[in-house]
Amino acid sequence: MNIIPNHKAINLSLCVIYSVVLCFIFPELPPVFNSLLVALCIWNGVTILSNRNKPNAVIANILAALSLFVLFYDVGFSDTVTLFVAMLILSSLFKLLQATTKKHYQTITLLSFFSLSTVYLFSQSILATLIISTLYILNFSVLALIESKHNLKVASKKSAKLLLLALPIAVFLLLFLPKLPAFWQLPGPKLAKTGLSESVNPFDIAKLSNSDELVFRAQFNDEKPPQGPYYWRAIIHDEFDGKTWLISDTLKQTQTHKPIKHNVANESLQRYQIFAEPSSQPWLYGLAVATSEHGDIKVTEDGLLLRSQFLSNSINYSVKSAPLSSMPISRWQRLQNIQIDLAENTNQQTQSLAKNLFSANDNDPQRFYSAMYNYFSSNGFSYTLTPDPMTGDNTLDQFLFSNKRGFCGHYASSAAFMFRSIGIPARVVSGYLGGEYNIKSGYMSVYQYDAHAWVEVYIKNRWTIFDATAVVSPERLNGSLSQHQSLSDEFTSNLGFGLLRLSNIAGFNWLRLKLENLDYQWTSWVLGFDQQKQSSFLKDIFGNKQLWQIALIALATVTLIFIGYFIYLSWPYSSKSSTHPIVNDYLKIEQWLIKKNIKPESNETPLLYLQRASYALPEKSNYIEQFKQLYSDVRYRQLVFSAYRKKRSSDLVKLIKTKTKRKQ
Amino acid sequence: MQSSVNEIIKDLSQVIFGKQRQIKLALTCLFSQGHLLIEDLPGMGKTTLSHALATVLGLSYQRVQFTSDLLPSDILGASIFNSNEHVFTFHKGPIFSQVVLADEINRAGPKTQSALLEAMEENQVTIDGEKHALPIPFFVIATQNPSYQSGTYPLPESQLDRFFMRISLGFPPKEAERKLILGTNNRDYDGLPVRIAPQQLIEIQKQVTAVTISAPVVDYILALVTYTRTDNKFANALSPRASIALGKASQAWAFIDGRDFVTPDDVQAIFASVAQHRLGLQHDMSDQQISQLLNAVNVPL
Repeated sequence: MNIIPNHKAINLSLCVIYSVVLCFIFPELPPVFNSLLVALCIWNGVTILSNRNKPNAVIANILAALSLFVLFYDVGFSDTVTLFVAMLILSSLFKLLQATTKKHYQTITLLSFFSLSTVYLFSQSILATLIISTLYILNFSVLALIESKHNLKVASKKSAKLLLLALPIAVFLLLFLPKLPAFWQLPGPKLAKTGLSESVNPFDIAKLSNSDELVFRAQFNDEKPPQGPYYWRAIIHDEFDGKTWLISDTLKQTQTHKPIKHNVANESLQRYQIFAEPSSQPWLYGLAVATSEHGDIKVTEDGLLLRSQFLSNSINYSVKSAPLSSMPISRWQRLQNIQIDLAENTNQQTQSLAKNLFSANDNDPQRFYSAMYNYFSSNGFSYTLTPDPMTGDNTLDQFLFSNKRGFCGHYASSAAFMFRSIGIPARVVSGYLGGEYNIKSGYMSVYQYDAHAWVEVYIKNRWTIFDATAVVSPERLNGSLSQHQSLSDEFTSNLGFGLLRLSNIAGFNWLRLKLENLDYQWTSWVLGFDQQKQSSFLKDIFGNKQLWQIALIALATVTLIFIGYFIYLSWPYSSKSSTHPIVNDYLKIEQWLIKKNIKPESNETPLLYLQRASYALPEKSNYIEQFKQLYSDVRYRQLVFSAYRKKRSSDLVKLIKTKTKRKQ
Repeated sequence: MQSSVNEIIKDLSQVIFGKQRQIKLALTCLFSQGHLLIEDLPGMGKTTLSHALATVLGLSYQRVQFTSDLLPSDILGASIFNSNEHVFTFHKGPIFSQVVLADEINRAGPKTQSALLEAMEENQVTIDGEKHALPIPFFVIATQNPSYQSGTYPLPESQLDRFFMRISLGFPPKEAERKLILGTNNRDYDGLPVRIAPQQLIEIQKQVTAVTISAPVVDYILALVTYTRTDNKFANALSPRASIALGKASQAWAFIDGRDFVTPDDVQAIFASVAQHRLGLQHDMSDQQISQLLNAVNVPL
């Protein structure tokens, strides 16, 4: 068994690496398994710090088997990505617990490169990237420590240098090596997190808006964004079963159809870019009737955007939007039927309310539309994120006539139901409302807590938005929920930790916006640099070359650079270049001494020669002695020829060669 | 450790006047775990030096006077029949001590010589198929008269190679000889104090191997060795064993000098002692040839 000199530093560094990885992925794993991993980390750390023996193989293997059971039981097989990530980290930690030999440590270090990379499955923010890069440096230095006796500081300096050297290559490859479409895709690990879902049933929800995750950012091509409110449409729910709003199968089928052409003048189109964060869900976001020419995006008849592949990475696309009024009602009779379909034997009170209201307004849909707004504003409805859950068959009745407290989902589903009761086609749309506008860089950030639901009704041959929330809580329309004064207390109490919580303090808000901006740049320049952007960039440079040609050029360039470098390394050196730098200084002194008629003898060693010179030139003897000491230190004692010693050496050469000033 | 090394040199200098360089060379040989051959005319103080060395280092000491009728078993020992117990028991010979002084080794026959030399090489003795380990540390200090003297069997080159170093004492300086004549007893080695324990000696030997030997020094050794192989002035070129010995001896010399790194000066200091007897030089020409060799090879910078 070969004991590694630095095993303590190596062990602790690996512990640190795995602890940080755990910090990143703990939200993905169940708590019991998390605590198991944390316990393993702590066990490792304690064993090393207290110089205890590592557990023997039998115990470790039994524990590992037990942990596997915990893994399978706790994590389950449904999400294979998380399962395998968990397995990787678990096995690495157990290996670390047992590692004694060089080979073991090498294996673990290699594994931890993979473990570090798994963090990117769950987070691609700039913070994560910075931390993971730092850990890569640490991991490289661990690799170096296994083989050498240097301390951690020297090793990390070297590995930082190494990574810095690799950076230009990475940038080059990122820019020039054409991206291939993915051969395989990860099943989405983000499943449980999105703020939208296929069905809207607000009545069993007691708590909402607890996620401050970024959903997407939008940048408008015009200097100033158009006036709000911004209704970012994502999903249309057109089927109502008495309780829940769903996407009807008919609609799902039509969603795969070819995009509609906007029959609107080009000037009235809104143009903007969207940088969508990773999501495993297909729907994307756009204003009103949106269309996009991005290759990975499907456009539906209803002006919705969908990912054509369930990519879990971020996507960046440009959108053109036409006003909602330009969209015709569906050509499909079945869809039209669904859009006025009621679950007729439920919520009788609501149905009769709608009918009364309609007849009170001379059966005029337009007037009924205004009356609906009046109804919601004048009957004591209030907005809350913590409504009382309602059960039973007639939840709309309960809400409208007794409870009267709810959030967008409540208002949208009751309003849509009321429109349908009198035969006006209506549907619930969910998406996001508003967003936080960053004036400095001119983009809008939309978070999960901006999720919203509203109604689209078809009146007088055009679709119109009806948003009852707007009259119940008008502030909700403009800006983001976080800027919403009256709700902010309730809102922040629902949020997790984060800088948002501190946004009332001016400094923190400034810092938050700065970080936001940085993250935006990161997203738009690095993460958003996708296949399309790259190919247009490559076209700008190379003109109309084939992709494979560009790939070949890029690869050839890199290969040539490497080959050139290796040839340079193994080039037979001329005698001058192979000498140690201090030898050049020595030769300078020697030449000077020869001019002074002190010639080296045939078998005289450098040190003896300098000794003789220092006797022969008493006025210089001090400097020559110092140089002799330096030469022997660097050349024979093998001390590092550091920057300090280099400076000292060249200084001494100058001092020896300059004429002595006689002050007397 | 360094102070005791200096004291040893001081003690030995009191016994062998004016021969500090030879004393340091002898210590170099012992510190690099090599066997020492002292070659000189009779009466130059060879035996005194070896005896004094053993005493100062606190090692057990046996002297074997080699003669032409000396047999291998006289050195190694022999199995003798014990008539009371009806068994053969092994009686250890004088070689089973930490320092063996083989006096006038070239007066014994080749068979006896090689018995000694084999024991030196293997650090063990095999008699009647039974192995007997020699003590640790184990040194052979052999003395020999110059081979042109009568009644000598010169050691063959292959066996000379087993000796790490060969030194000769040479005539003492006049002042030192004056002291001898005036009656200061130079054989007073029994009164010398023991300076280090055998365990410390092993420790020193370990430290010597840790002395830094840098690339230019190794280059220098290689250049010297290569020169003997390419130049046809030398009967025998230096073997790799000689290269290793040069490196080790330089380390030990640097250690005695109080440094933890070797310089080319160290190589020059020990070169003659390590290389001369391996090169198969004509006796009267050898010093001159060695200095020619050193002059011909440039010291790498």
